Amino acid sequence: MSDEHEPKKKTDRHDPSRRKFLKGVGVAGAGAALVDHLIAPDARATTNKSIVAGQPVNGSVDVVLDVNGARRNVTVEPRTTLLNALRNHLEPAVTGPKLVCDMGSCGACTVLMDGKNVYSCLVLAVDAVGKKLTTVEGFGTAEKMSAVQAAFVEHDGLMCGFCTPGFVTTISAFLKKNANPTLDEVREACKGNFCRCGTYPRVFEAALAAAKAGRT
Amino acid sequence: MPQQPQAQPSPTPPKKKKIRVPRVVNGIEQMVEIEVDDVAGPGWGPHDKHTLLNHRITRVDGPLKVSGAAKYTYDVRLPNMLYGRVRRCPHAHAKIKKFDSSAAMRMPGVKAIIQGPLTELRFAGAPVAAVAATTPELAQDAARAIVVEYEVLPHVVTPDAAIKPNAPRVLPEPQPAPATGSPTPGTGGEDNLAAKGKQGDPQKVAAAFANCDAVVEAEYRTPRLHHCCLETHGMVVDFSGGETATIYATTQGTFTIPQDAARELGLQQSAVTATVQHMGGGFGSKFGIGIEGLLACRLSKETKSPVKLMLTRSDEFLMTGNRSGSWQKLKGGAKKDGTFVALQATQYRLGGVGQGSQAGQPYSVYRAGDFYREVYALHTNEDSAIAMRAPGHPQTSFAMESLLDELAYKIGMDPVAFRKKNMPDAMYHRQLDRAAREINWAKRNATPGGGSGPLKRGMGCAAGTWGGGGNDQCKVDVTVTRDGAVTVAVGTQDLGTGTRTFTRAIVAEELGLGIKDVVEQIGNSKLGGANSSGGSTTAASLSPSVKDAAYKARMELAAKFSPLLGNAKPEEIVFANGNVTAGGKSIAWKQACAALPPAGIVAHGVWRSDLQSRGVHGVVFAEVEVDVETGKVRPLKMLQVQDGGLPLNRLTMESQINGGMIQGLGMALFETRVMDADLGIQLNPSFMDYKLPGSLEMPEMIPLIDDEDKREVVIGIAEAAIIPAIGAIANAVFNACGARIRDLPITPDKVLMALATERRSA
Repeated sequence: MSDEHEPKKKTDRHDPSRRKFLKGVGVAGAGAALVDHLIAPDARATTNKSIVAGQPVNGSVDVVLDVNGARRNVTVEPRTTLLNALRNHLEPAVTGPKLVCDMGSCGACTVLMDGKNVYSCLVLAVDAVGKKLTTVEGFGTAEKMSAVQAAFVEHDGLMCGFCTPGFVTTISAFLKKNANPTLDEVREACKGNFCRCGTYPRVFEAALAAAKAGRT
Repeated sequence: MPQQPQAQPSPTPPKKKKIRVPRVVNGIEQMVEIEVDDVAGPGWGPHDKHTLLNHRITRVDGPLKVSGAAKYTYDVRLPNMLYGRVRRCPHAHAKIKKFDSSAAMRMPGVKAIIQGPLTELRFAGAPVAAVAATTPELAQDAARAIVVEYEVLPHVVTPDAAIKPNAPRVLPEPQPAPATGSPTPGTGGEDNLAAKGKQGDPQKVAAAFANCDAVVEAEYRTPRLHHCCLETHGMVVDFSGGETATIYATTQGTFTIPQDAARELGLQQSAVTATVQHMGGGFGSKFGIGIEGLLACRLSKETKSPVKLMLTRSDEFLMTGNRSGSWQKLKGGAKKDGTFVALQATQYRLGGVGQGSQAGQPYSVYRAGDFYREVYALHTNEDSAIAMRAPGHPQTSFAMESLLDELAYKIGMDPVAFRKKNMPDAMYHRQLDRAAREINWAKRNATPGGGSGPLKRGMGCAAGTWGGGGNDQCKVDVTVTRDGAVTVAVGTQDLGTGTRTFTRAIVAEELGLGIKDVVEQIGNSKLGGANSSGGSTTAASLSPSVKDAAYKARMELAAKFSPLLGNAKPEEIVFANGNVTAGGKSIAWKQACAALPPAGIVAHGVWRSDLQSRGVHGVVFAEVEVDVETGKVRPLKMLQVQDGGLPLNRLTMESQINGGMIQGLGMALFETRVMDADLGIQLNPSFMDYKLPGSLEMPEMIPLIDDEDKREVVIGIAEAAIIPAIGAIANAVFNACGARIRDLPITPDKVLMALATERRSA
């Protein structure tokens, strides 16, 4: 049987920003205290100890995420994915990115990290520290939609809408890189996003229309 | 109330009539007889006279969905909420010998562990326990830490093995009733192969075959498929041990939730509210609370805390049901002139531990002179088949469309002409002709497999049918208040099919307003009642009641506005462009509404059977390219002509047609549940390994609404949209490369094998 929550294998990485971050966080009291962390942050009573470089982090850690231009404090486990941090740990939650496959195949959780689209289910929250994160909420609101969002509505590039935040994010990032794409380039750009209702043809139309609107 | 209606002489009770309507139970349509008022009322009018309906209206929930603001069940997070996780059985057939959750219970953050209701599990993936903990991660840890020991029992997961006489038994032995000793009905005990009915006269069919010019005998298979709703099954139970509960459910049946949840929570049904504002796909799989809902309720009851239990993606593949597979042995015979004169069919429904579904042969689009069919359920140790978009139809349609195509080629007749010869309903003829014209059918590959080079192009076609009628279960109220606000409250739910949008459009059109001038309330069990959204019954159930309510609101408003318009006769007052007008005088909507009584007006809609109907057609033509060196099939173009009476919204109707074709494409070329016969487990329970059609496989999609259908009624089309796509693709593959693949999905290995077989026999 496959278990989707196998700990994600991570190779040894010595990304300076991550190391710097790890030095700065403490080891929170294991497990049981986490409940209190989540429910009543003020009641936290654990003592944060300095982390020894190379030692695994366990328990929970306090991090700051830059989400849609706002600094957001959040307590997570080191294994908590960015997606779960956004959806389940941030208060208030950021639920535009959806949890669908939880293994980096469907794209519903796509967010931008320093402008690059990533599957937030494949990024650990602790690895997103210091990065500029943009979710679908960061592009526009229902009242004031971005050109891409408006094109999705206009061309009916959505049905149930569960994949839509991922598509909007992917296409928004793509059009920044390629303002004048062909249909085939649009297909290629969203090959990492799944839709079950069958909105693809109209997602393509929306992307091309948004590109055209952006050029005029 | 300041203005009570005046006492009226008691009206003659309206005449009644009895009609047959579909009722959907667990997504499966059943016809029942109901009595409705036989009265005339508002009609839809001709299709070209609408100001909003039959136009292209962008969906009203679009801005929320594209900005991430639409809140789905999965997005609900409540204070003190616990997260649920399920532990599944890894064996295809096993009994639980030992269940020990004590260590798991001691883990941090774990608040409750409950054992599932079953002790004998008959498929791999069956839930055995559920955990509630303070984070999803901790719940997952605890679910894995539960110690379960099994007695592993013999299993069978392939139909070919299950049909053998000594195969392991899938379902329990029938229990003898104490008094009579005969099997007790309802125990589910039946052999792996259970006869489900036969129809026709085998002798007559045998005689008819003797007079055929061409006979084709072949076996067709379709795999078990997964719904793959992007939002997995699950719910949030907002219950803290009090007297009421709210259930946030991802469901196609808001009104199927409170009763089941109330039973598990020990509450009155009326104390439980179910709500679904947006839901991430159902496709027939989301009715009732399900086993996951039962577990969520029990966890909530035990912890006296809100519990969110959303299944993981692998749970979703392994324990929420799937589309019935099929195995069909067909023998068909035709005359040289194209008459389909004889059909013999043995049909196996592959429903795992369930009954499966499969429409009877000959598929009802076509007439076969004489036919005889036997239908069986063939059980395996797999999760039960459940309703999935057009239950039973794609399987039967694919086999029949393939058989007809084979017969047509055998007698050397154009497959379109051959079909028309055997289609009693002329609407299909028109649709086939139009689609053939649009795709340039005349230019298709003349000789299957002909031409030079490895890339072969071909075209195929198929037809489908579905009911799509409605029933009288939706409660609808239209309220207009003194500030001019218009609210339409409906009991049903919007699955992403555009229900909200057409609901608003009907009311806005009736009152001469814009889409934004009307707001809807939807997806809450406190809003009265509605049928489940299954069997394409929602549009035809809801829209007549909405129309009736809007019409009554308009009539009542006209009576109230009359004094403002020189006492014009109510029926002469025109509601258009945000104004009410009569006798040369025009007043803006808001100004007119200011004259309403303080409570405004409320109009209650009654379902009107004459505003809807059942019976849609639909044809798909497909063009593909087959690489005969690699076996890869590239879909190039899919074109569907679909009728549906009055198109409530052309934009969303086209999207539905696209969606049907794309799901059909998946069934034809990509999707299949892969089982390991020895281990009895599914090998591809993930989006990594279960291949869905993606952006790179998208052909050019051409959804065409059949505007020759002038019926002034609403009919649902969602199921109809998926059916013919499968046969059209399979037939296009044959037309391209000359190899017939009768076992879905049409993957490269099967294409190469079929080409090799063709070459050997040539």
